[in-house]
Amino acid sequence: MSLISERLARLPRETRDTLFLLLTITATVAPHADHLPLWCSALTALMLLWRAQLAWRGASLPGRWPLVGLLVITAGLTWLSYRSLLGREPGITLLTLLMALKTLELRARRDAFVVFFLGFFLVLTSFLYSQSLLTAVWMLLCVWALLSALVLAQMPIGQPSLLLAARQAARTTLLGLPLMLALFFLFPRIAPLWGIPADAVGKTGLSNRLDFGAMSEIANDDSIAMRLRFEGPAPPSSALYFRGPVLSDFDGRSWRPSNRVFPLREAAPRVSGRATSVEVTLEPLRIPVLPLLELGSEAPNAIWTLDQLTLRRGVDLQWLADRPVTERLRFTHQVWLQHEHGPLKTSGALSEYVVLPLNRNPRSLAWARQLKASLGPEATAQARVDAVLSHIRTNDFNYTLEPGRYGELTPHLIDEFWFDRRLGFCEHFAAAFVVMLRAMDVPARIVTGFQGVDPVPQDGYLVVRNSNAHAWAEYWSERRGWVRVDPTAAVAPERISAGRSLQPAPGAIAGVLGSMNPALWRGLRDGWETLNNRWQQLVLNYSRGQQFDLLKSLGWQQPDWTALGQLIAGLILTATLVLWGWMRWQARPRDAWTRQRQRLVRELRQAGIEASETQGPRRWAELLSDRHGAAAAGLVELLLGLEASRYAASAAPASWTERRLWWQRFAAASRELRAGAR
Amino acid sequence: MLKYVRSRIDAWWAARHQRRDTHAMGQNNIYILPSRPGLAFCFTLGVLLLASINDQLSLGYMLTFLLAGAGFASMHATHGNLRGLQMDLREPAPGFAGGDLQLELRVHNSGRARYGVGIRVQDENGGKGETAWCDVPAQGHALVHVRCPATRRGLLELPTLVIETRFPLGLFRAWSIWRPATRAWVYPRAEQPAAPFAVTAHAAEAGELSGGALLPGQDFEGVRAYRRGDTLRQVIWKKAALALEQGGPLWVRETRAPASQRLWLDIADTAGREWEARLSRLTAWVLAAESQGHPYGLRVPGQELDPAQGPEHRRACLELLALAEPGRTA
Repeated sequence: MSLISERLARLPRETRDTLFLLLTITATVAPHADHLPLWCSALTALMLLWRAQLAWRGASLPGRWPLVGLLVITAGLTWLSYRSLLGREPGITLLTLLMALKTLELRARRDAFVVFFLGFFLVLTSFLYSQSLLTAVWMLLCVWALLSALVLAQMPIGQPSLLLAARQAARTTLLGLPLMLALFFLFPRIAPLWGIPADAVGKTGLSNRLDFGAMSEIANDDSIAMRLRFEGPAPPSSALYFRGPVLSDFDGRSWRPSNRVFPLREAAPRVSGRATSVEVTLEPLRIPVLPLLELGSEAPNAIWTLDQLTLRRGVDLQWLADRPVTERLRFTHQVWLQHEHGPLKTSGALSEYVVLPLNRNPRSLAWARQLKASLGPEATAQARVDAVLSHIRTNDFNYTLEPGRYGELTPHLIDEFWFDRRLGFCEHFAAAFVVMLRAMDVPARIVTGFQGVDPVPQDGYLVVRNSNAHAWAEYWSERRGWVRVDPTAAVAPERISAGRSLQPAPGAIAGVLGSMNPALWRGLRDGWETLNNRWQQLVLNYSRGQQFDLLKSLGWQQPDWTALGQLIAGLILTATLVLWGWMRWQARPRDAWTRQRQRLVRELRQAGIEASETQGPRRWAELLSDRHGAAAAGLVELLLGLEASRYAASAAPASWTERRLWWQRFAAASRELRAGAR
Repeated sequence: MLKYVRSRIDAWWAARHQRRDTHAMGQNNIYILPSRPGLAFCFTLGVLLLASINDQLSLGYMLTFLLAGAGFASMHATHGNLRGLQMDLREPAPGFAGGDLQLELRVHNSGRARYGVGIRVQDENGGKGETAWCDVPAQGHALVHVRCPATRRGLLELPTLVIETRFPLGLFRAWSIWRPATRAWVYPRAEQPAAPFAVTAHAAEAGELSGGALLPGQDFEGVRAYRRGDTLRQVIWKKAALALEQGGPLWVRETRAPASQRLWLDIADTAGREWEARLSRLTAWVLAAESQGHPYGLRVPGQELDPAQGPEHRRACLELLALAEPGRTA
């Protein structure tokens, strides 16, 4: 061990710098290991290790052909993994591999620059996956290390210490901090310039379509979808349904939103009771729907403008955006927990909600017809719904997040669920339930969104996670309109009342700590999440709205783009003036003696002496007495005194006060002289 | 027209960079432009910004602006790495054409420590020489040796020196231009290998050609007081002790250098070759004669140096050769 540390201390500079750079690259790439294919992480690690070993032994780098071979292999493997080289995931995979490959031919300083630029891209791409405080701190360290390596590359001689390079990098970065802050707060937050490729397949969360049983297993995505803060007491978790996409078209496998050609004219929801105001911070869900708490009083087709987003209320009362929402939004809205909506009397438009695909699920349809017949033709929609719910409750339906894959052997998915396997989660229950209702001529549809919140608020905010994604049903009943019914609650009531489906699997450390000292672990976790929330609210949520709020607090009455432009222009002007002044200040002679000499020469020229800076005080004194004789005696004496104090063997540099006194006396004597000359 | 503009620009350039013996770098003579990696860095920032906009990444914005801030500050830092430095140049030792002049520069720093300061010679065609790098400690100075190729003989003005730095981030290149006023002697290239001395006609004319190889001091002529440059063999040691005791001078035997050893290096003896080649041969002869300890004289068109010996004489001869131009008599 001591041998290695000794060797480390005596490494040649080249080797030490290379090892430092490799360490930096490893730190930058490491967070990606979480979502890259295993082979990519392994190959990257191998290449970096290989390069480190070459550096350690001072061996020569591999030739061109092995590198080309490796490049072809990596591109091929990437293609095999993704069937594409474009797009986010393959792009990041390739970027990581290229970075590792580049180190294998890291020779000249130009190559080093390529590594740095790739490194900055890798840092940015890791923000696509996480923007937590921890990521931010880790990445800041990576950027610092990258900049330090950049500084090292600019120190061509000697063996400068890493500490020195790190200090220089930090110094430069700190100098740039004001510019960074100004840019961060003032750079216009504009909308995305082009669409974002759909990603995040296979996560819980919302999408604009529901495939029955296509996902055999849901990743338990514990990330936060939104945070809420109620003005006043929060309603119970079981009452919190966030209305997202409403799905009513069923083709036997997937559910999609209604593609009605003629929009129905629907009345506004009939709300009653007291409205509650809620502040919402919504993470980008990348769907064109805003899942809001049920239910606001706005009528269908109402328009709501939020930042640069235009939202329209759909006929199914969901809020639709004209594009996928890709920015974090913060807003406040009013909700009524008591509400009714939909037509009160039957109408032709409702017939859309009883349509089922032909020749699918014959056993289910037969079962439903039989149930309807047993209830009698006069039974209300309510009675039919209750009958189906009680069937779910009394038969051995099981709630599970890993129900296996449906529809592999049969096209009759609902039959398979309802009679054969009876395993599923909210989507399965809601879908089967709606099919059964429709088979009994009850208009019904699926509503997706979120349900429930974390049991404990964080920092005053209720947290809705992506794992709170939920699907429930609505049926139409005469004189009531659309009524919400949650079939999942019939089989797994705790899912609704507790608000959480399953606890996320704890990590290894969390597991150990959690079992040893649960209270400490909870405290740590809550503290961390609180800190993270502050970070979210202050930094990550900084968007157009906050930008304009900032302008407002700076005194603009009506903050808009023009105001922002004015502020930016003003700042640029100020910065330019400051810079110009600073440059003037820098251009002045550095040492006090030069400045004093220049001033003396100016003064003496006023007194009619052809003094120049190359002469000394004694020479000026001679010139003065030649020109003015005894009248200049005072000045002569001062000048000779100056010479003595400056050139004396043991002279200490004159203090500021001494110099000032001297100048006062000089100015007085000079005035006297000029007065005498006149 | 173009030529006129060109000459005006050159004149302005020369006036702006007057020849000086010292060079102080300040606001008005440091130039700074983004380097090639600096431009690539701008491009990178653009792409990072686009990615941040498109994915609405707050941290992406932060990273982009952090780097932009650091890059902008590095412009200031790079400029500051040269600003306030002062340089002076020791009078360079003479060199031979085709060889190198060694320039010894001192860089004085009255401020913070500077790193990665490079100094190189820019030849007339704007070509780049080898860069000598130095770090200058805070409140201290550094010595830098720069090799400067000597192409022509003569008393030459030193080429333009370029002082540059890319520290700290390499995104900007700051440089300053110094045209030193000091001039350097460049002697003609010495012929290799040196040709044997010509038996000069002048020596023959004087009838002083003697057969045997006589060494200095063999023809005893008299005694005189010791002078600098006399060899120890000439000292009359028998009298030395007495002389030292009495505080008097040492006595030496005075010898008359044999005429055959009183070498005349004459341009006429190298006739039939190109002018520079003739000077090369004479240069080689001067060096050989000096190293062998012969007194030697030098004749070039219009000028003549009497035979003598020693570093001063050698220098005078070489300088004469460095400036020698073909005369009509040659």
